[in-house]
Amino acid sequence: MDVIDVRGLGKTYPGGTVALRDVSFRVARGEVFCLLGRNGAGKTTLLRILATQLRRTAGSAAVLGQDVDAGATSIRSRIAVVPQEARPQMMMSAYDHVRLMCRIRGLSKEAAEKRTRSLLEELELWDHRDKIAADLSGGLRQRILLCMALVGEPELVFLDEPTIGLDPLGRRKVWAMVRRLTKSGGTVLLTTHYMDEAERLADRLAIVEKGRLAFLGTVDAAKARAGGGMRVVVEHPGGNGEREVLEPKDDAEILAVVQKSLSQGLRVTLQPTSLEDAFIAIVGGSIEEDAA
Amino acid sequence: MKKTLREIYFIGLFDALPLLRDPMMLFIITLIAFLPVLFLFIFAGGQAALPALVGAIVLSLAFVGLTVAQSVYFNKHWFRFQDIYVASPVSPISYALGLAFATFLYSLPALAFSFAILAFALPAPPLAYAAVIATSLLLWLAMILMGFTLGLSTKNVKRANALPQVLGFVLGFLPPVYYPLDRLPPFLQPVALLIPSTHAAQLSKHYFGLLTAPLPPEQILLGWGYLLGFVAVMALFASRRAHWVDP
Repeated sequence: MDVIDVRGLGKTYPGGTVALRDVSFRVARGEVFCLLGRNGAGKTTLLRILATQLRRTAGSAAVLGQDVDAGATSIRSRIAVVPQEARPQMMMSAYDHVRLMCRIRGLSKEAAEKRTRSLLEELELWDHRDKIAADLSGGLRQRILLCMALVGEPELVFLDEPTIGLDPLGRRKVWAMVRRLTKSGGTVLLTTHYMDEAERLADRLAIVEKGRLAFLGTVDAAKARAGGGMRVVVEHPGGNGEREVLEPKDDAEILAVVQKSLSQGLRVTLQPTSLEDAFIAIVGGSIEEDAA
Repeated sequence: MKKTLREIYFIGLFDALPLLRDPMMLFIITLIAFLPVLFLFIFAGGQAALPALVGAIVLSLAFVGLTVAQSVYFNKHWFRFQDIYVASPVSPISYALGLAFATFLYSLPALAFSFAILAFALPAPPLAYAAVIATSLLLWLAMILMGFTLGLSTKNVKRANALPQVLGFVLGFLPPVYYPLDRLPPFLQPVALLIPSTHAAQLSKHYFGLLTAPLPPEQILLGWGYLLGFVAVMALFASRRAHWVDP
């Protein structure tokens, strides 16, 4: 069964701003599904509709088999959200945040203490449990919010730019947590601006541009859009700085370019196409339109 | 029902905990409503301070009630806890009552302090205490609902912080809460009676026998009616602004 099933979804805000148009995709259980897009592309709007926080205006959206409007109450007991730019209460400790969220979500005193300890240990916050959030780094604060989200053992977790502002180590800890979640059967939908993050985490991804899906598929499929998945850099061996970057369409063309360049005594470097290249290739048209 | 009560209690505790763990802030919250009483006691003596003390009790809940505007605004736009609560089994009623309960929690020291002083300085029949509790609760409810309306309408962090303070001043210190209504020029008295805190203070002083002349029955009825009506109007405003799921 699909965990998320979105068909022809649209959202027009009361002021008339059209945020989403005709968006359709599905997410299977156990997947990490990434939403990529520029600022204002509609990622957060899409996430908030699916997390039952915002009303849609067109199409249909089902989460865990239930319509997001009609079945919102039932969905909410099985999901969790870490909103974009959320912050913990600066004067409260990590332990207080998680324990109180456990109690709000109905755990008994003993169960709340046990769950709080297990979550804080899992996200390596136990040693910092009594420090107030104001005394913690950005990465540790973000992990408090993640702990709060995981209190209810959700089947589906929505993470809106969960690693924004984190250092490389902090980001990797969040990635590891996301992987642990899916290994235990959970599903994760996350939005991000970081292409390396999507590349590492995404089983599939969608690129949202101006409220529409500009791409839907795997990371490799996205890269294939940017030219055969490989880039060839040709340089003069003297190193005078002259270089040419070629983007052959397929393997045969790569081979031909390499053979020709080597026969001319040029230095050849092969670089795999990054997701960022693919992203630029996919949304490039509209960036150029904006510039014009 | 048990689930809802538990949610209200723990959401309230979550919201109030930073203040409850900060004795200095609690002291300041307690002090704000009592400063005028202290000055009146020093400069005008005990006779003027006693009605002011009743006024302070009425206002100590009302002042913190207004601060719910900050909780509403910051939970929605800063901490984003509201989004976390929406995407959880918490109901909007639990959330709203939880935030209201938080204001009650951190006004408890002020209330305990003021009732202790009042009981010591002015022994009165239980009806008087019941009346002051009832008027205080009604005014608190009105301020909570006003706070919700403000917090839900504000898009600006500066206003979210400043508005409750300004309104607290306008609704608390300017009208005749600490001082008698007849101290105002006659043309300003009807204006003062448009402010709910005036009615709450007048009723409380009446039941404690602290007015120069007891209120006639129709004025008592008007006072209670005005407070209830104000609560109803504020509830209407708040319900129109409130969206658990954004439109």
